[in-house]
Amino acid sequence: MSTTHYICKYTPVELLSALGGQCAVLDGMADSFDRSDQVSHPNLCGFGKAVLEACLSGQVKELVLVNCCDTIRSAYDVLLKHGKLDFLFLMDMLHCGGDCARERTKGELLRLAKAYGAYKGTTFDPKTFRAAFAPNPRPTQPYLSVLGGRVGEPLFRMMAESMPLPVRNDTCVHNRDVAMPPEEDDFDALMDWYAGALLEQLPCMRMADNSGRRQLTQDPHLKGVIYHTVKFCDYYGFEYAQLRGELTVPMLKLESDYTVQSSGQLRTRLEAFAETLAPETMGVREGGRAMHKGHYYVGIDSGSTSTDVAILDKDKNLVAGVILPTGAGAAAGADRALEAALEQAGLTKEDIAATVTTGYGRSAIQMGDKSITEITCHARGAFFLDPSVRTIIDIGGQDSKVIRIDEQGNVVNFVMNDKCAAGTGRFLELMARTLELSMEEMSQAGLDWKEEITISSMCTVFAESEVVSLIAQNKRQADIIHGLNQSVASKTCALCRRIGGEPNYMMTGGVSKNKGVVAAIEKQLGVELVISDQAQLNGALGAALFALELS
Amino acid sequence: MKDIVTSFGAWVQTRCDKDPESARWWLTTGYRAKKLQLQLAPGREVSRAAQMAAVQTMDSMIAPLAHPEKAAMASLFLPCEPLLAMGLHPYSCEGFGCFLSGTQAEQSFLQYAESEGLPETFCSYHKVFIGAAEKGLMPRPRFILNTTLACDANMLTFRRLAEYFDVPQFVVDVPYAADQGAVDYVAGQLRQMVAFLEKHTGQKLNQDLLEETVARSVRSLNNFDRYMTLRSDKLLLGEATGEMFSAFALHNLLGSKETEAYTLRCLEDVEKAPPAQGVRLLWLHTIPFWMEPLRTALDFNRQAQIVGCDMCYEGILPQFSHDPYEAMAQRVVYSPFNGPVSRRIDRAIQAARQVKADGAVWFCHWGCKHTLGGAQLGKETMEGAGIPTLVLDGDGCDRSHGGEGQLATRMEAFVEMLKAERGESA
Repeated sequence: MSTTHYICKYTPVELLSALGGQCAVLDGMADSFDRSDQVSHPNLCGFGKAVLEACLSGQVKELVLVNCCDTIRSAYDVLLKHGKLDFLFLMDMLHCGGDCARERTKGELLRLAKAYGAYKGTTFDPKTFRAAFAPNPRPTQPYLSVLGGRVGEPLFRMMAESMPLPVRNDTCVHNRDVAMPPEEDDFDALMDWYAGALLEQLPCMRMADNSGRRQLTQDPHLKGVIYHTVKFCDYYGFEYAQLRGELTVPMLKLESDYTVQSSGQLRTRLEAFAETLAPETMGVREGGRAMHKGHYYVGIDSGSTSTDVAILDKDKNLVAGVILPTGAGAAAGADRALEAALEQAGLTKEDIAATVTTGYGRSAIQMGDKSITEITCHARGAFFLDPSVRTIIDIGGQDSKVIRIDEQGNVVNFVMNDKCAAGTGRFLELMARTLELSMEEMSQAGLDWKEEITISSMCTVFAESEVVSLIAQNKRQADIIHGLNQSVASKTCALCRRIGGEPNYMMTGGVSKNKGVVAAIEKQLGVELVISDQAQLNGALGAALFALELS
Repeated sequence: MKDIVTSFGAWVQTRCDKDPESARWWLTTGYRAKKLQLQLAPGREVSRAAQMAAVQTMDSMIAPLAHPEKAAMASLFLPCEPLLAMGLHPYSCEGFGCFLSGTQAEQSFLQYAESEGLPETFCSYHKVFIGAAEKGLMPRPRFILNTTLACDANMLTFRRLAEYFDVPQFVVDVPYAADQGAVDYVAGQLRQMVAFLEKHTGQKLNQDLLEETVARSVRSLNNFDRYMTLRSDKLLLGEATGEMFSAFALHNLLGSKETEAYTLRCLEDVEKAPPAQGVRLLWLHTIPFWMEPLRTALDFNRQAQIVGCDMCYEGILPQFSHDPYEAMAQRVVYSPFNGPVSRRIDRAIQAARQVKADGAVWFCHWGCKHTLGGAQLGKETMEGAGIPTLVLDGDGCDRSHGGEGQLATRMEAFVEMLKAERGESA
């Protein structure tokens, strides 16, 4: 039997079932959006594009949509023209409740029943209708909730696997819960009730009155929230902005483009969040090496640009610190860096008591006893270097992050940049290349600025064009660089604001060596940044401190 | 003198960080100065009608700053006749965002909104306004009123600001289907909206005055429709900002005496205008008036001009209801921005033929999912109807989305292509 797909919790699934439909949520994440981009626009939300991909690839033949949002309205428009579906229906769901809305919704139910019944060649079966209702009770044990924009199955699985508590998908269609029907046989009266029951569900963000959504966050069993937004879906970004200031349980903000790619960066965030919830159980490597008799503790930070190794003795003295280019492979880079560090300290592998790996390549490195995210390690490292630090700004080659820690050095909150080079070391590298400068020259040159130039483009590609045009206008190099530094500082300070950064601030990562950027951030934050000599080794140092705790 | 407001941009932003009330004072003063300039020295080429729309819009932006106790923050598509009839000042939040961008004062407000956790992908008109409101530049309005038309942003911005300012909000829910049932549903809500206004102002709406105001709206739209038809054979030079001023005059200010006077003046101007000349473009969605290459290509240019914009004028019905509530409801329900995009495309084809456009530009404003989603369908269908169409990506008010060079190349190439089709040399 063919499947009728739906995407929204306001879809009258029970009615479709009563008319002989076999219904399923359309929830798959896409590998690419080639088909969708051809007929619509790349800047639609990833979920809408995934719906288009599923239909245009022929995977979906029957689809009942609700005019949830502008993207789904557009998806319907496109499918009407290009969809080649056997059955396509858009149900108008109003934004308000009340009697008038219920009456119009009932009208929509009757319209759907007529069209779907004619398509299937069936009539309404009241018994099947009643049997199709499935209560969706709230958990009675501690759990974590995924809220916000819908999460596709592969991403939800990754979330569930990463977390130390059961995870419940409360996004979008997944919190569907329609009240059980009355003992009523008259179809018209039943549809009148059903329209009301659909509208009375826990509201989604498109509804005018969404105060009922507080149920989701005021549950006493709720121990944490993973708040997911889909790029180019704006509804849930607003709820996140609101919850940021209200929620009393830990919350992780995660944004995806609804593709299965970029899992590396998302996994890091998920694992870092899990580490804040249950630090002791996370990241222990299965089959990791047994504890050696050595007395030295190794932290390996495998980043996109460099691999850093720190070795501590049992008294937390740094006996070796090495920073080497990562090269082609994370594992080989880690081996090389470890060998160099051991050589620097005059040690051998047998002297190692425990090893903790961190950084983007941590899961690719097989050695070590435990793998901990760079977020937790950076926090630990920074707190060790300066216990007065409460906010860490780390700008590396590939990503930038801001981490807030408490007075014990535990991560309270963190935020990372999106899949975009703006505000990262890569952005500055590209601009240095355009200006034909080395990174060292770039670091100094911006300090001697005279004219305030605004680089308005946040996009790296557009910013490069802007720099080229400023060069053509004979603008002073120092002023252009200052403009670029300001641009990175603005992006960074926005991240700080997003998580409520507070002094003292420490800056780590490769960009902490850039004097111009540091000065620009200091000016915008209105505070001086703590920059340690060991700033670049911070992640490895934190990992080594965790290794020490393993003993 | 030309940039008397623009030069305030950086100052207003800096001021707002330290003392929002003072920044507001400066902004109000700047806008008053700009109004004076528009009245006394609007520019040699600015038509009298364009000058009237600019002054009227400027007044509507000054009013909420100077008299917030009488100001109603509204969405662009909200029928505002009840507000006008009650002596209240409706102002469009999108319009204000647009104005702040014109003042080059948008960046710090955009950044502020994003740092508060709002999505980077959200419509920048709305984001600028939210940033300005929450940084203290905008005063607390009396209430907030919005429709669910034409985009999702309406559901988010106004709810957030109603909570932020702690003021009452009224939402007019517009059904997707364009039928009499939807008109009845919206008309019912507009009656409730009037009850809401009466409750919160303690003032009674004079129904005769409302009828008069709505009748004026209908006359204004008819005038403008006639103007669009007459414009088809005439050359009227103008600037992109003029189209945006017109959008406010024909939406939130529709029903005012000033708007009717503006439409009558349009008819006078068009009568006197010389015969058509150059490439004629229909613009779909908002116009990124701040982009220099666009101004160079289209402002006061005999070689190429914008001759219509769907955001400005959405067409008229053959017959509006005599009931003022129904007539207002008809306007939103039958708006081409409501329902499937095919309605907007059909209207665009109709408008292109009405003004004898050589081509159309479908402007994909960053964050406007409905416009983005319909872009390829729009292009296919309009080109099928013989109207060459350029899909252009950009941002109506956020300079940080850049891409001026890319936009210039596309725009100029399109104009060259249309010139070649007209048998003119590039």
